[in-house]
Amino acid sequence: MLWYKAWLETRWRFVFMVGMILFVWLTPEWITATGVHSGVPAARLWMAIQLGSVFLFIFTAIFLAGSGINTQGAYTFTPGFHGSMLFTLSLPVSRRRLLFVRGGLGALQTCILVVIMACYILHLRPEATSVLQTLAYLARTIVCTMAIYALSVLLACVLDEIWHVTGAFIFWIAVFLVQSKFDWVARISPLRGMSLNCYPITAPIPWAPIVASLVFAGVLLCASVLMVQRQEY
Amino acid sequence: MNLRINFASGVPIYQQLMEQIKHAVETGAIRGGEQLPTIRKIAEELTMNPNTVARAYRELEHEGFIEVRHGSGAYVAERGTSTAKAAGIRKAGEVLRPAIERGLALGLSESELRRVFEDELARLQDEAAAERRRN
Amino acid sequence: MNDIIIAADGLSKSYDGKPALRSLHLEVPRGSICGFLGRNGAGKTTTLKLLLGLLRRDAGSIRLFGEPIDSEASSIGARRRLGFVSEDKELYPFMTVDQTIRFTRPFFPGWRRDLEEKYLDLFQLPRKKAVPKLSKGMRTQLMLLLAMARGAELLLMDEPTSGLDPAMTEDVLQILADLAASDGTTIFFSSHQLAEVEQICDRVCIIDQGQVVIDGVLDDLKSEYRRILLVFDGMAPRELAGLPGVDHLRQRGRTASLLAHGDVDGLVERARSLGPTSVEVRPVTLKELFLDHVRGE
Repeated sequence: MLWYKAWLETRWRFVFMVGMILFVWLTPEWITATGVHSGVPAARLWMAIQLGSVFLFIFTAIFLAGSGINTQGAYTFTPGFHGSMLFTLSLPVSRRRLLFVRGGLGALQTCILVVIMACYILHLRPEATSVLQTLAYLARTIVCTMAIYALSVLLACVLDEIWHVTGAFIFWIAVFLVQSKFDWVARISPLRGMSLNCYPITAPIPWAPIVASLVFAGVLLCASVLMVQRQEY
Repeated sequence: MNLRINFASGVPIYQQLMEQIKHAVETGAIRGGEQLPTIRKIAEELTMNPNTVARAYRELEHEGFIEVRHGSGAYVAERGTSTAKAAGIRKAGEVLRPAIERGLALGLSESELRRVFEDELARLQDEAAAERRRN
Repeated sequence: MNDIIIAADGLSKSYDGKPALRSLHLEVPRGSICGFLGRNGAGKTTTLKLLLGLLRRDAGSIRLFGEPIDSEASSIGARRRLGFVSEDKELYPFMTVDQTIRFTRPFFPGWRRDLEEKYLDLFQLPRKKAVPKLSKGMRTQLMLLLAMARGAELLLMDEPTSGLDPAMTEDVLQILADLAASDGTTIFFSSHQLAEVEQICDRVCIIDQGQVVIDGVLDDLKSEYRRILLVFDGMAPRELAGLPGVDHLRQRGRTASLLAHGDVDGLVERARSLGPTSVEVRPVTLKELFLDHVRGE
């Protein structure tokens, strides 16, 4: 019944994310449809959509993450721990399982939204996209988003809700700043790995950020498990 | 029975309960031979610990004031026999003690002595039964 | 069939170098209702959390149901057989009464549907109502229901009646009495309310500054302890403090108040030999026992 609980806990979050995505996505549609900014070249619009999409992937991954131990508010950031955490921890269930179920559901929700957004982006492309290109793009956006998600889960294990979200943003902003200075960071950065600006559809599959993201996510997942098991409540 | 316990008192609760039950019998609220409420009933009525009620019942039984019949509950011992029984038990102890001491002095172990006692008791009961059949 | 349901030995726990529990020793036998008393910060909640596996102990051992609790797996095994009611009775704010019950049920193979129905009926809990809309009394009832319907052999509670009105408090005590009577459930709860501990507990455990100072059957404690009040002509003699059996002594000028334990008659004899003008022996209440052991000299 942990999946049931995780769903009840996160469903409004999920709905909120869907709403936010729709809001962002409806804007270019509306803009193009009404031709209000008809002077804007298609290329620039496309770039804006790209950046927006990367931002949405990141935001989704950060917002939908949770540790499964502390009870999360629906759409509010609750400071400290919620009293029901004691109830959760007094149940005959391992902390690892609590983490996996909540983390798993959040990951599933994130992936679903990422896939929908990625498909929509491809739909906006003026050129046709082959099946292989579609799958390659979906795969790398999912994997790179999961790297971001894994960090958020780890932060959720140790920090209050508001700090885990803030902390995650700060981290990826730092990565964004660093990657323009250090080439090796740019080569493995998931932020670039999920962007069509850096790696266009027609380019070969960017293995470096994909592998780096998988390793990063794996390591952070192990760290999260160790973290929840060692924590004192 | 109208039982009232002062939980804040320095007097142990089980003792208070015992006193209250004895008092109930003395005033005739419950008579010899009548059944006492179950431990659970009293615990429920007074909102108190059932183990404490059980202890009160055990002590009363030990004093011979009540009888606990297996399966059917606790009953107030017949007024006359309760004191008589307690006295009888004391007397029997006095009578048996020298016999036990002599048995031990003869070099018998505790279990051997116990077996002798049981054998004699059984033989007496058989003789009594045989006597009843003859009559 | 193990007799001792909770056994803690040499249990120690520190937070940031400050000791919360010092070599605590505790034994709670099966079927008893044990009240866990202590001042704020004495270590009550820490002890409960250690029993539940929310904290890791620094030293000592814990046995629940006779099994040592030294890993998450053993803690989970114990948690299948016990129920916990926290102090603020918080449950999930995104669930209704019904959903909370449906969520909790599958964790316990021994879940008793009949008890669930019985208590839902008895408490008249509104099934479709969201948990945050419930009063504290109803939340307490719901938590009790969740703890009892799982067929728990042990009930651990942190201040179960805090925030409840007297009528509801009595209801809770009734349920505890009933549980102990019908299923032989062991109940261990921390409390500030001496009155309710006196009423419902057959055992009492007093903790002070991380150590257990009193642990025993309440009725026996009342039999074993006596207060001896002495008045002297001059200043109360210093020898009083050294007499055997004096658990606690308070001297003020010509009067002395002794908390005596054990051979009370012998102690009274010795006290008399010191020539008091008045000797009075009185029974001791739980409140006196508690205050004398936790207020320090």
